[in-house]
Amino acid sequence: MAELCARLRRWFTGKGPGRPVLPPSSLVSIGKAIETTSDDEFDCEQTNRLLDQFAEAALRGEDSAPWMDLIQAHLDRCPDCQAEFEALLHVLETEDT
Amino acid sequence: MPEARDNDQWLSDLRSDGPIQAAALADLRAILLAGLQRGLTKWLDAYSPELENLAQDATQEGLVRILDRLDSFEGRSRFTTWAYKVAIHVALSKLRRKEWGNVSLDEMLDPNPEKGQGISVISPQVGPEMSFEQKETLERMAQILEEELTDRQMALMQAVVLQEIPMEAIAQKMGVKRNALYKMMHDARKKLKKRLMLEGLELEDVLSSSGEGKTPQGHVVQPGDG
Repeated sequence: MAELCARLRRWFTGKGPGRPVLPPSSLVSIGKAIETTSDDEFDCEQTNRLLDQFAEAALRGEDSAPWMDLIQAHLDRCPDCQAEFEALLHVLETEDT
Repeated sequence: MPEARDNDQWLSDLRSDGPIQAAALADLRAILLAGLQRGLTKWLDAYSPELENLAQDATQEGLVRILDRLDSFEGRSRFTTWAYKVAIHVALSKLRRKEWGNVSLDEMLDPNPEKGQGISVISPQVGPEMSFEQKETLERMAQILEEELTDRQMALMQAVVLQEIPMEAIAQKMGVKRNALYKMMHDARKKLKKRLMLEGLELEDVLSSSGEGKTPQGHVVQPGDG
C-alpha cells in the first residue's frame, strides 16, 4: 500500500525520489529526438491524411515535394505511422495489376 | 474477380443503394481482405488463424468507416489505396490492443517497477570512451531533462524513444488519441530544444560520435521485447 501511495504521489505531483541512471546511449537517443525536433512537424493525423498519396508517390519514385519531406520526417520518428506506411506499401507492391 | 472501377465509379456505386451498392461493397470487401492478408504478414504468420481473424475483423470495421467517411476521400490517390489505408489503420490498432491488452499503463511507463525505481533521470555514468566535453554535455542534458520534464513526461519519453512501445498502445491505455500523445511529446521536445538552445548546449558532437544516428524504424514492438 505504501509503495502504491508513493507511486500515485509521484504520478500526480511530478517529480519523485529514487530516480534511475539513464546510460549515455539512452541519453544520446533522447538527445537525437530533441535535436531533430522542428516547430512545423506533421502530426499523426496530418500524416495519415496524405499517407495514401505518399505511398503511391513513393512507388512511382517521387520524393522531392516539400510535403513529402514533412511526411518522411514524421515517419522517421513515429514507429506507429511508419508501420502503417510499410503495410500500405507492401499491399500496393503485391497488388495484382 | 472484383469489377474494375475508377474513383468516381467507386464513389457513385457505394453511395447508391440496392444491388449496385451491394456489388460494390462485396468487391471492396474482397479487395480489402486480400490486401490485409498480404499487408499484415510482417506481424503475423501468413495463413495463420490470427492473421485471418484480424483481416476479417478489420475488413468489416474498415468497410463501416469507409462508408462513413466517403466524403473525406479527396481523390488524391486511387480509391482502393485510400480504402487500404483506412483498413490498415483499423487492423494495426486492433493488433496493438490485443498485444498490449494485458500490460498496464504503469508497466509501460515504469521500466523497472519491481526495483522501486522512479521514472526520471540523473547525471549519466559515462564511460571512458567519451571525451570530457562530451561527458559534460550529456550530464548537462540530463540535468535539463530532470528540470524541464515531470516524471510522467520523462516516462513517456523513455517508453516511446527508448523502449519503442507503440504510441497507439500507450494512447489506448491513457484513453486519448494517438495524435494527442504525439502532440504532447512534440511539445515536450520543443520545450527541451528551446532550453538547450538557450543554454547554448550543442549536441551535435555527442550525437555524431555516438553512432546513434537512426530514429527507431517502424515495427510493432511486442510486450516484453524491451
